[in-house]
Amino acid sequence: MKIHAMLRAALAALFLAFAGVAAAQGNLEINTPAITALQQSMQQRHAQLAPLYASGAVGLARDGTVALRDASSVPLAQRGQINGLIAAENADRAALYREIARANGHPEWEADVRATFAQRWIDRAQPGWWVQGGGGWVKK
Amino acid sequence: MVAAVRAAAVAIFLACAWGSAAEARSLTVDIGRLTHPQLRAEELQMRLDGAGGAQLRAARLAVEAQAVDAVALECAHLSLVDDRLRCVDGRLEAAGMLLGDALQLAADLARQDLRVDARLAGGGQLTVEVAEAARLRARLEALPLAAVHAYWPQLAQWQVSGSVDGGLELSAAAAQWSVQVRELAFGSADGLQAAEGVALSLQGGGEAAAQGWHWRGALAWTAGEAYLHPLYLTAGARSSANGRMVDGVLHVDALSAHLEGVERIDARGRYDLRAQVLEELALSVSMADLAVIGPRYLAPVLLPAQADGLIFAGHASGGVVIEHGELQAIDLAVDAAGLSLADGALAFGPVSGALPWRAALPTRIVLDVGGGRWQKLALGAFTVDARAHGGEVVLEALRIPLLDGALAFSDLRLQRREDGWHGGGSVVVEPIAMPLLSVALGMPEMAGVLSASLPGLRVDPGEIVLDGALVVSVFDGYLMVTGLRVREPFGVASHLVADIDARNIDLAQLTETFSFGSVSGHVDAHLLGLELVRWRPVRFDARVASSPGRYPRRISQRAVQNIGALGGAGAMAAIQRSLLGFFDSFGYREIGLSCVLRAGVCVMGGLDQRPGGGYALVRGGGIPALNVIGYNRRVDWHELVDRLQRVIASNAAPEIR
Repeated sequence: MKIHAMLRAALAALFLAFAGVAAAQGNLEINTPAITALQQSMQQRHAQLAPLYASGAVGLARDGTVALRDASSVPLAQRGQINGLIAAENADRAALYREIARANGHPEWEADVRATFAQRWIDRAQPGWWVQGGGGWVKK
Repeated sequence: MVAAVRAAAVAIFLACAWGSAAEARSLTVDIGRLTHPQLRAEELQMRLDGAGGAQLRAARLAVEAQAVDAVALECAHLSLVDDRLRCVDGRLEAAGMLLGDALQLAADLARQDLRVDARLAGGGQLTVEVAEAARLRARLEALPLAAVHAYWPQLAQWQVSGSVDGGLELSAAAAQWSVQVRELAFGSADGLQAAEGVALSLQGGGEAAAQGWHWRGALAWTAGEAYLHPLYLTAGARSSANGRMVDGVLHVDALSAHLEGVERIDARGRYDLRAQVLEELALSVSMADLAVIGPRYLAPVLLPAQADGLIFAGHASGGVVIEHGELQAIDLAVDAAGLSLADGALAFGPVSGALPWRAALPTRIVLDVGGGRWQKLALGAFTVDARAHGGEVVLEALRIPLLDGALAFSDLRLQRREDGWHGGGSVVVEPIAMPLLSVALGMPEMAGVLSASLPGLRVDPGEIVLDGALVVSVFDGYLMVTGLRVREPFGVASHLVADIDARNIDLAQLTETFSFGSVSGHVDAHLLGLELVRWRPVRFDARVASSPGRYPRRISQRAVQNIGALGGAGAMAAIQRSLLGFFDSFGYREIGLSCVLRAGVCVMGGLDQRPGGGYALVRGGGIPALNVIGYNRRVDWHELVDRLQRVIASNAAPEIR
């Protein structure tokens, strides 16, 4: 319980730090080179993923990953590439959660980092995107 | 056929019922049960109305093993003249659903032939002809597959479309069939299983045997594409097979298939159609060209995230055995196979050997690897001899030659879990000559030896821990690397962390090697929390200081100038410039330097703090003495490295001459 509260506080600080990264290179103590590399990689991929979120082909899952939820709108020949794109995004996300837990000096917080991020991604999803709640997939 | 029907268990009961005056007169005949070698009808009833129409109903109609309930044939006009039975404008129902209408039936009871034409309820046309005794010919044209949804509700969620043509010739002892599927498309709700524009051609035949039927068939996929998650497939595959059909079990005695990139695919098996269980399947694939099938079938399944960056080579053959729906065995043999990352960072091959796997038994994997490449280092030939049991792989020993030494792993145990591989073991780096290693890494040649004993090797997803010590004897002293961790080894965030402790490094050899002028003496260095990304340092706390002890300490004029150049213009204001012109070298008492690297900035420090913000890097001593003072506290790391490279390059040139 105590660890969880500490983690919440640490993550709150971290999210503030993330918000500030674009504006200033101030809080780089937490933003390690590995986290920066992951964020850049995810940012580049986001251009390819955003239309897939919008079309509903890909949704934000409750375990902090992205998932191919309805590929029907995607041409058959591209479904495999999208599966690769999703696998690469999920590999980066898994690494990000581990890396943030490590940067906080608590690798064992990985699962909590993942859970908190999962909720964050879902909260920040744009209207029209599909997110996975307790009862299944819903359109925001 | 009508006449051929043998009323074996006849229980014909005639009931004549004359309706009241208000009703048309009708006649109902209860026939009971009719049996025939391939056909059985129960509770058969015929009803004739007064207007020339007729109804034939059966509570259950069975053809071979297939049965339908509530079958009814209605004719607007039924006539029987001189053994010729005609049904005009009929309709056929089964299980309460319309199967077809506009039905025309003509039968010659004397010649024992029959012809039925019907427009099927969902579209398409069916023609059935029976000639001579029990010889049936049927033709199906343009049946829309969407119409099948009505009879096969499970298919509705697949949104099947397309059309089917088919032909069937059936006698008591033999059958021939052909089916053409055109423009087949289907898709599961999540789009993970789908096809478009598919054309299939199926042809075959069969003969009745002592038990069941012998059959043969050929299937060709001639057009279209499909996505069967995670594989994208296009037309071109063909297969032919033969087997038996006994008591509802489909036996495939021999199946061969042709697929681009594979020399041969063979299979045999047994499928229980009633229980819908694959009782047995043995599949073998011979000489698959990995360059073709690797990107298409292997990468999307095994490494989807890296699928674009993998290069396959060589050949593989394999086999799979499934019994009672459970995977029992996999055998894979590779021949001169190669696997590499497109960026060249990692490559293995040629690899030859066998990888067997059994559900319940341990197996032994033996692979001869001809060589490999990791970053800039070429790996020698080695043999992998491992035991696999369930999801665990154990390597008692694995020795990978590297230059004149080797990486020797022992007691390596890896377990495959949901989130990836976990395990551990130990590794020893057998001595590698530094001259070879430094040249291989593109560095100036250095004398010395590298070796390591890392008994605490641990592998988890996202981290490889190498507890122990890696020691490099170099420049008369040594570097000891501890706390080695490779983090996120397979992604963009791949980085290495370690602590390095260097003792008694001979500056004369170091400065000569890197063409930095000449400094005599020894230093100790500590790099704590060193983090390397793509072999470049991004973070460390470093401190370099003169080693304790008595030894000659001189610094050349060129080295002093170079230190000044590193600091940038005006950085070394306190260098006693006037002295530089007169002497080639100077005595010093102490050298000290620290750098805390964070976010591309090195925060520098020296031996002391001086008024005005300076710090001493070299404290003079002896005659002539010289102090080198630094003033820049925050130095851009990349700029510092650039300057160092320029200094080394400019100093190296004259020495070559």
